[in-house]
Amino acid sequence: MAADGRTRRFELLAMPHLDAAFNLARWLTGNTADAEDVVQDAYLRAFRYLDAFRGDNFRVWLLTIVRNSFLDWLKDNRSGRALFQPAPADMDWADPAPSAEAMLLDRVDSETLNNLMAQLPAEYREVLVLREIEDLSYKEIAAVTAIPAGTVMSRLSRARLALRRAWVDNEKKP
Amino acid sequence: MNHDNAHRLLPAYVDRQLGPLRGYLVGRHVAMCPSCLGQLEVMQAMRTVLRTNLTVHRAPPALAARIGSALPREALPVSRRRLLQPGFAGAALAGGIAGVALTLAVTRMTPAPDPLLTDVVADHVRSLMADHLTDVPTSDQHTVKPWLSARLDLSPTVKDLGAEGYPLVGGRLDYVDGHRAAAIVYRRDKHVINLFAFVTSERSDLATHAEKRDGFNIVRWRMGGLSYVAVSDVEASQLLAFVRLLEGGG
Repeated sequence: MAADGRTRRFELLAMPHLDAAFNLARWLTGNTADAEDVVQDAYLRAFRYLDAFRGDNFRVWLLTIVRNSFLDWLKDNRSGRALFQPAPADMDWADPAPSAEAMLLDRVDSETLNNLMAQLPAEYREVLVLREIEDLSYKEIAAVTAIPAGTVMSRLSRARLALRRAWVDNEKKP
Repeated sequence: MNHDNAHRLLPAYVDRQLGPLRGYLVGRHVAMCPSCLGQLEVMQAMRTVLRTNLTVHRAPPALAARIGSALPREALPVSRRRLLQPGFAGAALAGGIAGVALTLAVTRMTPAPDPLLTDVVADHVRSLMADHLTDVPTSDQHTVKPWLSARLDLSPTVKDLGAEGYPLVGGRLDYVDGHRAAAIVYRRDKHVINLFAFVTSERSDLATHAEKRDGFNIVRWRMGGLSYVAVSDVEASQLLAFVRLLEGGG
């Protein structure tokens, strides 16, 4: 019964976070089938290393493993897209953009925004997902992404600027 | 705080990640600095736009089952999937029309590793042990239903069946099989009944189906696009009577 008890304990801890794990994997891989593979791999790893979980936040621990599984998946499945390559942030929040107001709530077209988001480098996508969807703190984001806590704010800021730049460029298209 | 410092910390201020003192100091600077205020407004608009519009991808229902069957289990066959169980399939064929008389398909077979059943039983037991039976403890159905609807995008049936011997105790949020679920709590004498309601990719109506797991009686059905699972240690006949009362009269 020991093995089954361990399985149950794991399910109690891990299954409530399945949506969060899948959401991160789906945003990182860009499609459902790969996201499912990444999540399953992550869950089996998490089960294997369950005894190593010492922290107080299982969701953060699990999302860290999801991200690691994604990195390994990436090694095995090199797509042409440049992932984890920082985009230059040559835009400032103070930049006068002709359609700065276009990012106001009532005028945003969700589909376009999500498409633009999907085209951002993975290092930007992951911090945006962790912050804006999963509502993780800077400290938790640092734990999941293995970047220094002091870097999270600037990484997030650059990610938002990159998305805003993409939005503004898209608006300018005829 | 001078302009450069405050300006640098604006993103963390928008993200509410500054401690009380620094948050106060940045806020005080922003109130006096039109340039910072302007940027703050753009950042805040962006934050709202992202939070409102970014797609939240939900795990496909099959994923929980797939992971569940990949985990090691002792002395349990891992090949049977829930929808292939004869009783469940039979119920699916017999059902399909809302409000038909209850079709009861009782399955007698070795317990299959159905993650949903494992889940609801674990949720039920935990709700009894962890002193976390309800998030909203009230017997008022008009309080429980809106409380749940406001937190989940579903609107389950909530009835006060106190007169019939099944008083409403309250509601709470829970997880079943990877889905966010409403747990509506009733009592029968000293026994607790947890009724879970959640949405899966399966939406068609399904007649009631009773089974037993780890000594608990479980009745599940689907109606109006919502999957319901009732779990309790009351007798199967009482649990079915309870389900009939719930379903009866809309």
